[in-house]
Amino acid sequence: MKCFLRSLTLLVGLFFYASIHAADALPTLTTPDDVGPVIEQPIEFPHFRHAGDAKDGGMQINCMYCHTYARRSMVAGIPPIQKCIGCHQSIESVRDKPRIQKLFEYWDAKKPIPWKKVHDLPDFVRFNHERHIQRFYFQQDRPYQEVCGYCHGNVKAMTVAQRQKPITMGWCASCHQKDHPVSANSSETGHGPNDCFTCHK
Amino acid sequence: MTENDFSRRDFLKVLGWGGTAVALSGCGNTSIQDGQETVTSYVTLPSYVTPSISNYFNSTCAQCDAGCNIMGRVREGRVLKAEGNPNSPINRGRMCGLGLSGVQAHYNPDRVREPLLRTGDKGETITWDKALGLINEKLNGTKGAEIAFVTGGMSGHVQALLGNYMDELGSKNHFSYEAISPAVLRAANKKAYGVSMPRYRIDKARVVVSFGADFLGAWISPVHFSQQYAQFRKGTRPEGRGVLVQIEPKMTLTGANADRWIAVRPGTEGVLALGIINALGKAGLSIPADIAAVSHEYTTERTSKETDVSAEQIEKLAVLLKERTPSLVLAGGAAEGYAHGSQNAAAIALLNRVLGNVGKTVEASASVPFPQIAPTLGNRSSLIALNDGLAADKYKVVFSYGVNPVFSAPASMKFRDNFAKADFKVAFAQYMDETAMAADLILPLDSAMEDWATVVPEYMAAPEGAGSNAYAQMSFRQPMMEKVFPDTRGVGDILLALLKQRKADKYKDFEDFYSYLRSAVLKNKVALGGKAGDDDEVFWNETLSKGIVPLKGIAGSVSAKASAASLKLPVPTDADPSYPLRLIPAVSASMRDGRNANEPWLQESPDPLTTIVWDSWVEINPKTAAKLGIVEGDIVEIASRSGSIKTQAYLFPGIHPDAVSVPVGYGHEAMGRYARGVGANVFGMLDSVFDKETGELALNETSVKISKTGQRVIIVKEEGPAGGSQAGKQKIAVQVSADKVDLSKEV
Repeated sequence: MKCFLRSLTLLVGLFFYASIHAADALPTLTTPDDVGPVIEQPIEFPHFRHAGDAKDGGMQINCMYCHTYARRSMVAGIPPIQKCIGCHQSIESVRDKPRIQKLFEYWDAKKPIPWKKVHDLPDFVRFNHERHIQRFYFQQDRPYQEVCGYCHGNVKAMTVAQRQKPITMGWCASCHQKDHPVSANSSETGHGPNDCFTCHK
Repeated sequence: MTENDFSRRDFLKVLGWGGTAVALSGCGNTSIQDGQETVTSYVTLPSYVTPSISNYFNSTCAQCDAGCNIMGRVREGRVLKAEGNPNSPINRGRMCGLGLSGVQAHYNPDRVREPLLRTGDKGETITWDKALGLINEKLNGTKGAEIAFVTGGMSGHVQALLGNYMDELGSKNHFSYEAISPAVLRAANKKAYGVSMPRYRIDKARVVVSFGADFLGAWISPVHFSQQYAQFRKGTRPEGRGVLVQIEPKMTLTGANADRWIAVRPGTEGVLALGIINALGKAGLSIPADIAAVSHEYTTERTSKETDVSAEQIEKLAVLLKERTPSLVLAGGAAEGYAHGSQNAAAIALLNRVLGNVGKTVEASASVPFPQIAPTLGNRSSLIALNDGLAADKYKVVFSYGVNPVFSAPASMKFRDNFAKADFKVAFAQYMDETAMAADLILPLDSAMEDWATVVPEYMAAPEGAGSNAYAQMSFRQPMMEKVFPDTRGVGDILLALLKQRKADKYKDFEDFYSYLRSAVLKNKVALGGKAGDDDEVFWNETLSKGIVPLKGIAGSVSAKASAASLKLPVPTDADPSYPLRLIPAVSASMRDGRNANEPWLQESPDPLTTIVWDSWVEINPKTAAKLGIVEGDIVEIASRSGSIKTQAYLFPGIHPDAVSVPVGYGHEAMGRYARGVGANVFGMLDSVFDKETGELALNETSVKISKTGQRVIIVKEEGPAGGSQAGKQKIAVQVSADKVDLSKEV
């Protein structure tokens, strides 16, 4: 009996171990489970209207027109309200829409809009937008929607952004370990940096 | 029954597997918290700001009086770190640990946040309008002579404004007080060289002999002197690598860096200086007759007997000084803190004249051309004058700013009781320190990283090159970010508001201190390096962005007029057997006089020599300790005629056997969570002995006795056993027990 109990204990332990381990194996690229929660923002910003394709009624504005710091800094940044107003003060046709009215309320009160973070990395991770944009957008000349979309998904079809990828270390590494052509028209391949301190410093 | 025999071992196995499972499940997506924090978001953004990229703003350090020029690294509206300004002739892009801790004064959780009014034993929060109104009310009907101001060393436009306010009140009672001040040195320099603060050129000297001047740690402008010292130690210099000799009873950081460290009997530094002059004469150097007339009495034998320095050492020193010129001889606090401190300093200054250093390594300095912004230098004698006035009920209203005399006055002066005699005491304070606790009205100040000011340093360093003898500078202090606590105010703003109560018309154009400062600077555009036709806005912005305003100063001149005529050095007497040891209060590089004690980095950074953190200690020579039966960690009572403290004993071979040393700045009973109750306050137990010429408190004149209390602690320190294993099992040096070490021998 004692022996049985012992082996039972071990078996139960092993089962736990195996099941946890299986769940923790290298994640596959994207699954529907990776989509982040819907996050309520102070203004329901319509990305599809600004960045969407013309055929869907969008204006095809480059992501970096508003998220202007992505190519110059670690963070992509939220545009200051000044930037929104810069265009919207001369777009009379939508001035009385509730979202635009809300925008002008913030502007008149000179209060920044408390946007919530959609892609919030832990504090021990340093992700640098500039490096990725410079490499893929400026050096390799890929379309911006593809470059931003690697991590952010098809934002041009969303209203407020929602996380589409797991953004875990395994997911980052899955790309960094893969061989890519070093430039758009080269047969030579290489992969992204793989040192711990590139992100953890 | 075996069914229930689920043994502990099995239980642990299950627990082990379960623990692993929990640990592994922690590696999933759980660390990402979408939608919790807000993004840094702006209404408008200046073109020079990019989120995540730092901007640098030039300013001036406020941690000590050296006035180093700094750059604040600012990101997303927060100042993160101070760096040295590379264009500064003072610190040349460098910083010290004390300066780096300035951000902790700025973000300190114990800062006073609202004006506070005391009624009886209770304090209440009041509005600024009420606070300023109350001051006005108390001042009406008070004569100018009954109003006193006690401040630290001051300079720049805040000082000018304070001067204006005092003129309006008709008060001439400005007491500028510094707990640790080179006042004796200033007076001795004035006599010996004609200027009170010449430029010392350690970098030009081939030998530096320093009588207790801790120029790498806490003396006058340590970051500046550290830069010079780096040059001095370079073998590639035309003069070759310099030799440093440090003479002091208690080893300082500079002493630890010296080629030769000589433990002198406390107080006999002047005798040693004259003995060296005599030995120089014997070695063949020509000594001016007036000096020789005095120094010939100090034969090597007599000097050696009085100072505890061997005849061989004295002769070696004389040879070293004779052969290697130019040299530089410095006098510091360890030599000056005596009733005959001025005499010691004068005797040491004679050496520079004998060796022909004046004009070579002791250079003339310049002073600023605007007397109203020139520094008002603090000293201890002004505190005595204030204390006497308070004791005689002369002052009804007392303002204090930037000083903490209740903490740093010796208990025997009874300053706390005398301060309480004034009817209404106003403290401009960043912390509720001991003086603020004794005040009736506390006005919360901005930190130095939120406030506007101009600063003129006392020690005027100059860049190399032509015209350096007429170089003077004014530095800007400017806000690096929004206020941390919205209801604090700058000292300039408060003074301006008080001035408006008196002379509304004259100051009505100035909305705040910023506009006052800006208009004062623009009015003197030409003198401050601009041209008459320059655009005001452009000039102002350029000046601020540089942070340093070079001025065409009034050039001074040095002369070798040190005279031995009036020199009177006392013959050392045997110690009083009931108080056999000499107490040397040590000024450490990070704690200084204790004004920054509530910055935890300073408490946390180990003392460079003992590596002790977060506490006071008493340094005792191992030989003395062996006689008294004291071992490391014993809690001992150190008692003087005026008071006593208890602290942990640290056996230290770098101290004269007749002396013990305790660092100052610890032992606050108020101020904040990091300062309160840490260590013991050695200021309190000092005897009231003063330098006979300058009236400065003689810090080293207190005799003490030491007794064990029976308690023992393990000292919290960084160091391991000397010669112990480091990085593996390799011995790095032969271990010598502390009582066998002789630091005066060359290693």
